Amino acid sequence: MKLNRFVIPLAVFAALVVVFAVALKRAPEKQFVRSALLGKPAAEFQLPDLLKPGTNFDSRTLKGRWVLLNVWGTWCVECRAEHAQLLAIQREGKVAVIGLNYKDDDDAARQWLKELGNPFDAVPVDPEGRVAIDYGVYGAPETFLINPEGVIVDKVVSVITPEIWQQRLLPIIEGKAK
Amino acid sequence: MKRFATALLLALVAPVFAIDTSAPLQDPAQQARYQALIHELRCLKCQGETVADTQAMFGEDIRRQVREMVGSGKSDADVRQYMVDRYGEIILLRPAWSAQNAWLWLAPALCLLGGAFIAWRILRQRRSLLETDTSEVTDEARP
Repeated sequence: MKLNRFVIPLAVFAALVVVFAVALKRAPEKQFVRSALLGKPAAEFQLPDLLKPGTNFDSRTLKGRWVLLNVWGTWCVECRAEHAQLLAIQREGKVAVIGLNYKDDDDAARQWLKELGNPFDAVPVDPEGRVAIDYGVYGAPETFLINPEGVIVDKVVSVITPEIWQQRLLPIIEGKAK
Repeated sequence: MKRFATALLLALVAPVFAIDTSAPLQDPAQQARYQALIHELRCLKCQGETVADTQAMFGEDIRRQVREMVGSGKSDADVRQYMVDRYGEIILLRPAWSAQNAWLWLAPALCLLGGAFIAWRILRQRRSLLETDTSEVTDEARP
């Protein structure tokens, strides 16, 4: 009984320390918002195409292909960090890379692609962020992996690192992920 | 005094203008609903803030969306469901009552009950000690 007095509070305290330590360590990689849209059909949209002025990009043309829908803007600092990886993914040719230009300036966006290279098959322009709301976007970069049936199978908030591409997204595309 | 009161009022009013600069909806009832709704949605970009209180781009867009939906006759439930469908339940500052959220709502009551139970046991133990063990209470110690 005497022992309980110290052992029980100590055990509770130790358990709390472990829980908090694990939660804190995992917090940065754990997404604050796990998208509500995983497993749901990706919203269809028609938006002007930055790369083909005067024409609209229609998301329905993507059916039947794996799609990486990347939400970006020239105001987004992390997008610059992500750019090289997007170029690499485009070179690999396993997915259609679509760059939803989010709340940006058309000229600045064109300039950016000219300077850094263009990793995108199409660049639908969403200046007011309306399509972004349909995709539950709250910042940039955010990237959706959409399967050939048009269903959102994964979402990456923040930068796609080579590790995320190699170990998380690519295995899904190649059917190796559970 | 009047001047002071005016200055005070202006000081209090200023922050209201700072965030939401959109024109109010024509119908005051709709405007009130719009105001209520944006105060119950979480700004996901900034976490601790509501959509009403944030200057983040995200808040601006969500406010516009809510305003348009309320203006076009959508109900409060429609707006909440629209947001939950896209952003998940986290966007609601007051989580809905559901099986999954039950622990969240019940946790405070359970903690209180648990605490009360422990307190009750300690008190009972002390009382029984007093009743059974009188060895240290001597006649001199009694008043």
